Parts: sequence; C-alpha cells; structure tokens
Amino acid sequence: MMAIRELKVCLLGDTGVGKSSIVCRFVQDHFDHNISPTIGASFMTKTVPCGNELHKFLIWDTAGQERFHSLAPMYYRGSAAAVIVYDITKQDSFHTLKKWVKELKEHGPENIVMAIAGNKCDLSDIREVPLKDAKEYAESIGAVVVETSAKNAINIEELFQGISRQIPPLDPHENGKNGTIHVTQSHLQGGRRCC
Amino acid sequence: MAENLPSEFDVIVIGTGLPESIIAAACSRSGQRVLHVDSRSYYGGNWASFSFSGLLSWLKEHQENSNILSECSAWQEKILENEEAIALSRRDKTIQHVEVFCYASQDLDEDVEEAGALQKNHASVTSAKSTEAADSACLPTEDESLSTASCEIPTEQTPRSDPKNALEVNDVEATGEKENRRDDKTCVPSTSEEETSENVPIAEDTAEQPKKNRITYSQIIKEGRRFNIDLVSKLLYSRGLLIDLLIKSNVSRYAEFKNITRILAFREGRVEQVPCSRADVFNSKQLTMVEKRMLMKFLTFCMDYEEYPDEYKAYEEISFSEYLKTQKLTPNLQYFVLHSIAMTSETASSTIDGLKATQNFLHCLGRYGNTPFLFPLYGQGELPQCFCRMCAVFGGIYCLRHSVQCLVVDKESGKCKAIIDHFGQRIIAKHFIVEDSYFSENTCSRVQYRQISRAVLVTDKSVLKSNSDQQISILTVPADEPGAFAVRVIELCSSTMTCMKGTYLVHLTCTSSKTAREDLEPVVQKLFTPYTETEIENEEVEKPRLLWALYFNMRDSSDVSRNSYNDLPSNVYVCSGPDCGLGNDNAVKQAEALFQQICPKEDFCPPPPNPEDIILEGDSLQPEALESSAIPEASSETPKESANLGNPEEPSE
Repeated sequence: MMAIRELKVCLLGDTGVGKSSIVCRFVQDHFDHNISPTIGASFMTKTVPCGNELHKFLIWDTAGQERFHSLAPMYYRGSAAAVIVYDITKQDSFHTLKKWVKELKEHGPENIVMAIAGNKCDLSDIREVPLKDAKEYAESIGAVVVETSAKNAINIEELFQGISRQIPPLDPHENGKNGTIHVTQSHLQGGRRCC
Repeated sequence: MAENLPSEFDVIVIGTGLPESIIAAACSRSGQRVLHVDSRSYYGGNWASFSFSGLLSWLKEHQENSNILSECSAWQEKILENEEAIALSRRDKTIQHVEVFCYASQDLDEDVEEAGALQKNHASVTSAKSTEAADSACLPTEDESLSTASCEIPTEQTPRSDPKNALEVNDVEATGEKENRRDDKTCVPSTSEEETSENVPIAEDTAEQPKKNRITYSQIIKEGRRFNIDLVSKLLYSRGLLIDLLIKSNVSRYAEFKNITRILAFREGRVEQVPCSRADVFNSKQLTMVEKRMLMKFLTFCMDYEEYPDEYKAYEEISFSEYLKTQKLTPNLQYFVLHSIAMTSETASSTIDGLKATQNFLHCLGRYGNTPFLFPLYGQGELPQCFCRMCAVFGGIYCLRHSVQCLVVDKESGKCKAIIDHFGQRIIAKHFIVEDSYFSENTCSRVQYRQISRAVLVTDKSVLKSNSDQQISILTVPADEPGAFAVRVIELCSSTMTCMKGTYLVHLTCTSSKTAREDLEPVVQKLFTPYTETEIENEEVEKPRLLWALYFNMRDSSDVSRNSYNDLPSNVYVCSGPDCGLGNDNAVKQAEALFQQICPKEDFCPPPPNPEDIILEGDSLQPEALESSAIPEASSETPKESANLGNPEEPSE
C-alpha cells in the first residue's frame, strides 16, 4: 500500500482565465463551455501516484473572492502548491499574474511550489502572451510553467505532474502537524467523558 | 478596479467580524444574494489576527486615524427628495490607550523588514500616549537597550515596498532555513555586527552571548510572518455553539485546531497546573490521595448536579465560593474549582451559575482532548474568514477596502433601501447588517459602551516549565482587589502558528476598570520579567522574559440594546464587536437571532447539499463521484479508507 500524502493546492489568477475549468478537467475530465463564475465549488480532490507515494491533491478554488481583490489569507494556509493561471490571449492576465505571485509570497507558506498555467492554448491564433515570456518569468521565480487547454485537455495532467515532482519528499522528522485537530461530524458521536 | 459591483442585492453586510461573517454565510447559504464589505484591508474587524508587521501597521493606523479630516460629502447630492441619509462613521473609535513596549534588544539595523511584508509602512510606532508611557513605565531595568516607550520600528520605507525587493527578501526567507546561506544572499544590508551574528546562531556567536535563545527585535521583525496576533483572545469550548455550528455547516473543513493542553492556576505567587480530567487528577503530584478522592467525588456530582437537588438546593442563595466551602474540599481544591474550572470569582456567581459553569467545563472535557478548549491554528482571525469563504462559495460577493458613506432611508416607508459607497455608487438591498463601529457618533450618542482591556506579550518561555515546550495554556488570575476583574491569560506556543519558534505569544484579557495597562500590568509583573541582556545565573527560578508588549482597550459593544441606537430603520440590524467572554457563544447567538429575523423559518447554516461542492449546469456526473471527491473526514484515516476516497473516474487508479 502506497502512502497517501494530502497536498493542499490553491488556485490563483484573474477572474475568467479558467481556474475552475482546469480543475474540472483535471478532476473530472469534464469541460463546460458555460461554466458560471465560481459558485458552489469550493474544493475538489484527486489522487495521483508519484514515485512511491500517492499524492492526494485537495484543490481549493477562490470561490470568486479574487474578483474584488478580497482573497482571505486563510485561503493560502498550509498550501503545498499554488496553480497560478493566466489567459494566453490576454496580456493583462499575464500582467496581474505577477501580482498574484507577489500576493502569494506575502501571504503564502514559504516553501510553496508554484506552477504557472497559461490557459486557453487552444486559442493560440489570438495569443497575446508569448510562451517565451512566461518561461522567462517562471524561471525567475522558480516556478513550473506549462501552457494548458482545459477545453481540449492539453497539458492538464502534466501541470499537476509537474507539481508532484516539485513537492519535497516527506521529512520523517517533520512533526509540525502533530496534534492538529480536524473538527468534523465524526466527532459528534463518541465524546468519551473524563469524569 | 475594472469591475463594477452589481447594484442590487438581498442583503448587504458591513463589517467582517465573526457575527457578521456568520450571518453572511447563513444568508448566502439560504439563497440570499449577499454583498459583504469591509472598509479595512483585512478580514475580521476587531476579530482579526495580524502578522507582526501587520500589527504594527494596525497600530499606526490607529494613530493616523485620529487626524483624518472628514472628507467630501458628495454623497449628499445623491440623496433624493423623498430620502434621508444615515451617515456612517469614517473613523474607527473602538481602540484606545494603545501602548507599546519593546524589551528585546533593538539592533541598529535600519532596514530590517518582515520577509514578504506587504504595503506595510514601517514607520515608527509610537504609543498613543508615548511620552506619558515613557515617564510612567513600570517595568524598569538597568539595561540601556530597553526602550520603555514606543518602539522605533526601523524607519520609513516607501509606502509600497518595492516588489522586487520584497521578492528577494522572501527568497532569503525561503532559503533561510539553512542559516549559513543567509548572510551572503540577503539583500537586507546587515550593517551591525550583532545582526550578522544573529544569522549564524551557534558557530560565531560572540562571547557576550554564551547562551542560546537570545531573541532580538529585528529577529521578531524578520520572522514577523510567523506571528498571527489576535486582537481578541478567545477559545472554543469543545461543545460550544461555535464548534457545533462549524460542524453543522461544514465550515470546519476550512480550519484546523489545537487542543489547549493545560489549565493553570496562579496561587501564592506560583503557577501550577490544575488537574481537571480523571487522568490528570490521578496523575497529579500536587494533590494528596484524600484530595484526589474529594475532587473526583465533587466533579462527578457536578456532571449531573441537577439530579441531586438535595446537595445544593439549600445553598442557592449564596455565592458559589461560599457553597464550595460547605463541600468536602480543601482550600486548594476550592481554589481550583472556583477560578480554573468554573472560571468565576469569589463574588461573581451564585451556586447554580457556578455548578452550571463547572458542568459545562466537564462536558467539554475529553471531546478532543484533556481540556475543554480548542484554539484555531493561525489564530482566532481565521474563523470569520472561514464563514466568509462559505458565503462566497454560495455566491456572496466580497469587497475589502470598501467603505460605505451612508445608508439611504426612504422617508415614506421609514425603511433603509440602499447604501452609497465610497465611489458614490448606490447599491440597493432589502436588509442591512451593520457592525457597531461603523455607526457615527450621531447614531450612537446614547449608547454606553463597556471596554475590554487587552495585552499582547511576546515572551521567551512558558509561565510553567514542562517536558514539552509546545504547551497551550489558559490561566485565570483572580482580581487582587474588590471591584477589579479577574484576568484571563492565554499562552500560545509556536505550533499554534501564532508566533515564531522560541517565543510564546501571551494574551491577557479582562473587563476594563481603567486603561489596559493599568488593569493588566500588575499581572504581567507577577508572571514575567523584562528582558535584559545580562544573563541571570539561576535560570531555573527565572520568570519568562518579556520581549515585547502591547496594551490597548477595545470597545465592548456586546451588551448594547438595539434601542440605544438613534433612528435605525427596522431593516437595519446591528452586530456587536467582540465581547470579553472566553467562548464565542455570544457571536453565534447574535448571528442566529438576526438571521431568523431576516430569513424567518429558514434553517440556520444547514449542512451543504451532498454532493455539495460542485454545482455544474447540465452536469452529467454521478453523485457518487462527487460525493467521494469531497474531502474526507479527517478522523484517523487509514490508508485503506483513503484509497476508497479517490475519485472513481480517476484514470490514475
């Protein structure tokens, strides 16, 4: 039995660049042309093998809070990786990508793995952002970069594989999470009394 | 901001404190279109938590705040003839008597900055009454590096720190784990030798610092993002209303908690641990065999005291402390039960109240651990954010840094119909929830507020040494004199993700009688000693040392009746700021009551639909797939179970 590691992944990027579509394609291999701005989706999970481990991605969506620049710091807490998405047909979205990276540096965990996804690469005839620019930028911040199309299922798996490879191996001495309690329904029953 | 806000909602919520956030989540969850705004740049209002640099900016704001001139009144032109406006306040007047003391050595390193600090303008933080503070500082020490008054935070950066610079600093931070690489890579010029030596802790430490554990102010600044400093210090009762709500609504999935590990008492000048669980009682070394039996017997009775009316009926008229004297309990045990378990005082509560409090404490024991309390990782400020996320997930729209100039009231119906925001945009809604601090002086002229006294300390070790340095403790220090209030002390260790390694974050809270410093400093002096450079020989008996301290008073609006506010339309609902109590029941009760007024007959934060996470139009997914992709309950999950939790559609399996 392979060990399962849960990895929180947060999505960043301008409204409309395809954050939810990428996750939807990755998790459910599904694409919806009329996907409404993220409502009701908060997170999805998918498990992929990586070496002798299984990586279970817990992918958090912004829930639209990025629209008016009001993402809460709790969104980044404990993230192992961030997928920062821009739209290759919109220079603006590549520009604000840098702001998201800065935001992440400020609020995110220190060793967070960053992956940049240039989405909508099926529309390369109306491309505004050259791949070269993205690669140069990604290199400068030590991020994984790949152009994706959630619509045509291009490079979506690769994006997450790229993240998997960057995740540092589990440190057996790491015990920071010891004694952390998740408060869930299952605790409702039980409740042994001490006295 | 390119995008415009929609101009119509069902509910507009102003303020992102805990009660407002819960209401926003509940309304959104039951299908209301919610706009949730806060004039500040952060979530939580007075419920927020800050990194160290964030806290310094907050302090600074509270000083600048006082000289904001009332700005344009352009909105007045937008009020029509059949309308009236209720202007909202432009200033936050809820924080007073801010005093900051820095005891840790302040290196002359001008450019130290919290790694990744954002738009934080580290100007010097001066206490609101800095000169006075300097004169009357009561924790003197010979050491010259102590600055009792305001701390001079390394100076004037440009308001927006250069992004490139910030990135570089951050790089350093990321690689900083390997201490030896720090020096050459850092872009923070290390001017002082001392600073340099900090970065190479063991090897090249200079002779004056033979001991480990020397923490300087610049280290605190550098590691500032490790701090999450709560403005209000609370805990969650493990069977309290908030935990129940978190579980019921499934908002709990957004947060993680730590159990408080110890209940402490302060008696005869010493800090000691209070045995409260069965295991604690039996393992206790401080109690005699006889005492153990007495305590167990009494606590067992308290568990279901209602069933034995004969035991307490005769004492209903007297105080709980008097009642305890009639029980077979030694003074030792009486003290523990009164102050540390019932957490009341000699005079404050009746026998019944005391028994109820004791019972509640005992019922909460053992649900998650050996004490009744939980603390959210990263601080209390996470909780409003969790509810806000839930609201957003169900379509609520979020705007920080968005102030509201006025509420627009229709003269004829007397109801509020819209707000006008700082852009002059008119946004209409049916219900308006406004946090107390947003109301202007005109609206609040008749309101009598209480105050909460708060202190935040950064210290170098725990108030009670134990074999683990990762204890989370609560300590109640009874009032010294009649009329004063007991002081609640909560000590957080670094694994709560609220302070840097090697330090403790200590919160003191009490109902104010005077200014925060006047109320709390006596307790601080009992428990701590100011940091000094000189090593004291006998480390064993030494009290923990203070590295940094902040005092402030916060307005407590929790007790204010709605009728005390002037001329509020019936569809404007008031939320209070934080109360002084330990738990969060007040916020939950308030939120639920207001929600029932807005959405009568609707369920309050019901569990999300299952499969809950994904709403896709024209969706062809099997429910099982969705259900299984929901996050599993984190109860000790065996590998086998987890394997089954994978998405059946995954090609990987």
